[in-house]
Amino acid sequence: MKIITTGVAGTMESSDIIIRIEPKETSGIELSLESDVKQQYGDRIEQVIRETLAAMGVESAYVSAVDKGALDCTVEARTQAAAYRAANSTDYKFTE
Amino acid sequence: MSFSMMTIPNISGARLESLCEFLSAAGLTYEGGAEYTVLLLDDETDAVVGTGSLCGSVLKYIAVSEAMQGEGGAASIVSELVRHAYTCGRRKLFLFTKPQNEYLFRSLGFFRLAATDSAVYMENSRNGLKNYLDSLEKGRGVQGAVVANCSPFTLGHKYLMETAAAQVDSLHVFILSENSSENAEFPAEARFELVKKGTKHIKNLILHRSGDYIISHSTFPTYFIKDKADAGRINADLDLTLFGSAIAPALGITKRFVGTEPFCAVTRAYNERMKQILPKYGVEVIEIPRIGGISASLVRKAMAEGNLELVSKIVPETTMEYIKVRNWEPEIRNHRKS
Repeated sequence: MKIITTGVAGTMESSDIIIRIEPKETSGIELSLESDVKQQYGDRIEQVIRETLAAMGVESAYVSAVDKGALDCTVEARTQAAAYRAANSTDYKFTE
Repeated sequence: MSFSMMTIPNISGARLESLCEFLSAAGLTYEGGAEYTVLLLDDETDAVVGTGSLCGSVLKYIAVSEAMQGEGGAASIVSELVRHAYTCGRRKLFLFTKPQNEYLFRSLGFFRLAATDSAVYMENSRNGLKNYLDSLEKGRGVQGAVVANCSPFTLGHKYLMETAAAQVDSLHVFILSENSSENAEFPAEARFELVKKGTKHIKNLILHRSGDYIISHSTFPTYFIKDKADAGRINADLDLTLFGSAIAPALGITKRFVGTEPFCAVTRAYNERMKQILPKYGVEVIEIPRIGGISASLVRKAMAEGNLELVSKIVPETTMEYIKVRNWEPEIRNHRKS
């Protein structure tokens, strides 16, 4: 899936995460994460975002995430929604 | 405390009054321009306990009452403003704040562009500034810069740019991108085109749009500054810090050229700050004497008075053509109406 515009999903409310995905010319995912629990869960949040994008076939993108203590399922859902929006795609496959 | 969120486009009337009151209690001054406002209201008393507004692509007037601190009010406000901005297609968002609030906005996804001891300028993207700098055409050898509004491009600007270009291998000229009320006659694209046409003969000149990274007094909000007399200096310092710390090194600029300012005290003060700040970043400031008192404001004044003869003496032909066409248009419209 190709990222062609900026896609955003989520909020900065407690227990949520806001994910912003932007097009990137070169291949690879460049991720920046802000989180109050980065020390404890930063690696895990990053892993969920990367795996979700990989499963969707997103190979290049700038991703910035501001986490407010989201659970894995929330991180995954927000990442998927942001990616679909950034790809201008409505071909949702949320069940995978 | 339980509270509800209310969103208001173009706030006015009683709601605006209660917003102004709330802001002033928080040490902020409402100075207009709120296109979309979020109010957090106490469920019991209906009193404002938090607020924030979107003005173009700038988030402003963000404040929460002391009783609400730590309740996630600021996060709700900023989330809603960002959400609204995205639905309007505005993806690059900015804010100005006091240094002590930087950490709060950092935790809400904003990144520092420049900071001084009185103000911080932030963007909602880590790469925004880098992408802008990467997109700029690069020069070579000894490089200089001119930053100008050019509203409109005059023979004075032409002289400044010719003189500066003769002293460097490449001259970068940044034209301010925002449209402000004092520039109504000359929108950003028109100003840019007039400079482009009027400087075609200067072969080593590279023209840039300032984007969001030159902070002029029309973009700089002063609502969070207690003593308004300091606003000009704080604005200048923030802008010059951004130029010196990010723009100049990215392009290899070591000289900044500026016309001497005999008339406008604000510009003169700005030039003085420039001489203080830019050398710290290895950028030499070179003042070039202005010729014959020509200024863009003089052009606008003469236009307002209908004195096109004076205008024609102080602007290049390319600018004059544009002014003639523009002045003609209202006549056509009036003619059609009658």
